[in-house]
Amino acid sequence: MGRTLKFNIFRFNAEDPASVPHMDGFRLEETEAMTLFIALNRLREQQDPTLMFDFMCRAGICGSCAMMINGRPDLACHTKTKDLPAEITLLPMPVFKLIGDLSVDTGTWFRSMNEKVRSWIHTDNRFEPGEEEERMDNALAENIYELDRCIECGCCVAACGKAAMMPDKFMGATAFCRITRFMVDPRDERKSDEYFEVVGNEEGIFGCLGLLGCEDTCPKNLPLQDQLAMLRRKMGFSQIRHLFSGK
Amino acid sequence: MLADETIPQIRPVRAEAWLEFVQVLTGVALVAFMWMHMLLVASINVDLGGGRVLNLIARFFEASDMTQIGGPLIAAVMLVHFVVAARKLPLRVREQRAIWSHSLSFHHTDTWLWVVQAGTAFIILILGSIHMWTVLTTLPITAAKSAGRIQGRWWLGFYLVLLPMVELHVGIGVYRAGVKWGLIKRASRKASARFETKLALAMIAIGLVSLFTFLVLTKA
Ligand code: HEM
Ligand code: SF4
Ligand code: SF4
Ligand code: FES
Repeated sequence: MGRTLKFNIFRFNAEDPASVPHMDGFRLEETEAMTLFIALNRLREQQDPTLMFDFMCRAGICGSCAMMINGRPDLACHTKTKDLPAEITLLPMPVFKLIGDLSVDTGTWFRSMNEKVRSWIHTDNRFEPGEEEERMDNALAENIYELDRCIECGCCVAACGKAAMMPDKFMGATAFCRITRFMVDPRDERKSDEYFEVVGNEEGIFGCLGLLGCEDTCPKNLPLQDQLAMLRRKMGFSQIRHLFSGK
Repeated sequence: MLADETIPQIRPVRAEAWLEFVQVLTGVALVAFMWMHMLLVASINVDLGGGRVLNLIARFFEASDMTQIGGPLIAAVMLVHFVVAARKLPLRVREQRAIWSHSLSFHHTDTWLWVVQAGTAFIILILGSIHMWTVLTTLPITAAKSAGRIQGRWWLGFYLVLLPMVELHVGIGVYRAGVKWGLIKRASRKASARFETKLALAMIAIGLVSLFTFLVLTKA
């Protein structure tokens, strides 16, 4: 303990026409068990009330506090300052629309992604409220749950080299993972070709370069590498099949 | 009822699935060839640079027309691989800037590996073409002819650049193809990366030994 932390923080207010993007320096005494959540709040309370950043749950659940911490995207609320060097550079995540300083709008992006992926169970079965629910194998249920743990923080998109090159088009690992979540769900009746409609292009799975920035930064440790490979195989082979079925 | 078209809806392209297969299959075919090639060249070491084994192998491949057909075929596969893989290269200035600033700020091994793979690709394209042209237009292949080239200073430098470039591209390529298609899983990624590194280093070492033999032990 006893370190003085030096913060370099990106400043820009998108609402204020007079605002110019720049970096501001701050100093702060490090305290026991300090997280970036605590540090940023202290800076706002004690040094600059105009500092903008997002938090909700401060427990790594809501996904709103993701930012670039010394170049890597991560959740500020679960990043301990003792794991960082004394000089800490904070930037807003790229790709997403900047609101101000460290605050970005991930909500609009994710809403659009979910609509594009049609992120709901597609079935013709009528729901019968009186009937007993269909049973599901426990291992399968756990597999689906595992893929449903995404908190839509956006780290995987901010960590993606392809998304950096194609910022407003590339779908990102979170979308690919979301699709595989419905693929493995037997209740969803969509066929491979319907999924191909959504991800079968350069903006989708075939644009992914396999850099695994997503896999290596996802704060919830979702199995992105294995899902992306599964999606690539399923989508690739679904088109080979057309050659033999002749349509 | 779209809230906001942040990610535009883009039509699927069936050809992209095909090209993805062509890219990985041509890549793997080239890797298989490069490993074979490495072994054949290394036969110069078997009789300590005497060249009898290498000449025998070279004569066999030429007598059966495998060199005359296989050589241009490999060149064609390389061309196809280049054209298909070049789709992924950041050729626009905006993309170049984006990938450089991303790689520089995001300290991440696999991202850098891709940058190396894309960079080595260009060097291989140029130097590899020169190498193939030279060898295939001066058939038959003999140990003495190769030694003559390598003992000239320019060609030695040429091969000292081409060798590590190819092995880097091949090593990273096999690893990334495995990761992309799922042959390498999350659980096996670390071990695979370590194995790939060792394999690439071994290949470079064998190549260097062969170059040394050509340079010092073989009569031009
Ligand atoms: C002619 C010069 C070459 C160029 C320009 C080139 C270019 C590329 C590029 C840009 C990639 C990355 C594609 C991606 O990120 O998806 C790549 C992948 C690859 N290359 Fe090459 N390459 C060349 C020659 C070779 C050679 C000679 C070999 C083998 C000996 C090879 C083996 C591979 C492999 C295995 C991959 C991974 C395939 C994949 O990711 O789908 N390449 N190449
Ligand atoms: S593996 Fe694909 S989605 Fe993940 S960071 Fe790399 S290019 Fe992006
Ligand atoms: S996949 Fe991981 S990194 Fe990406 S949005 Fe979901 S929780 Fe965040
Ligand atoms: S504040 Fe909710 S994840 Fe960090």
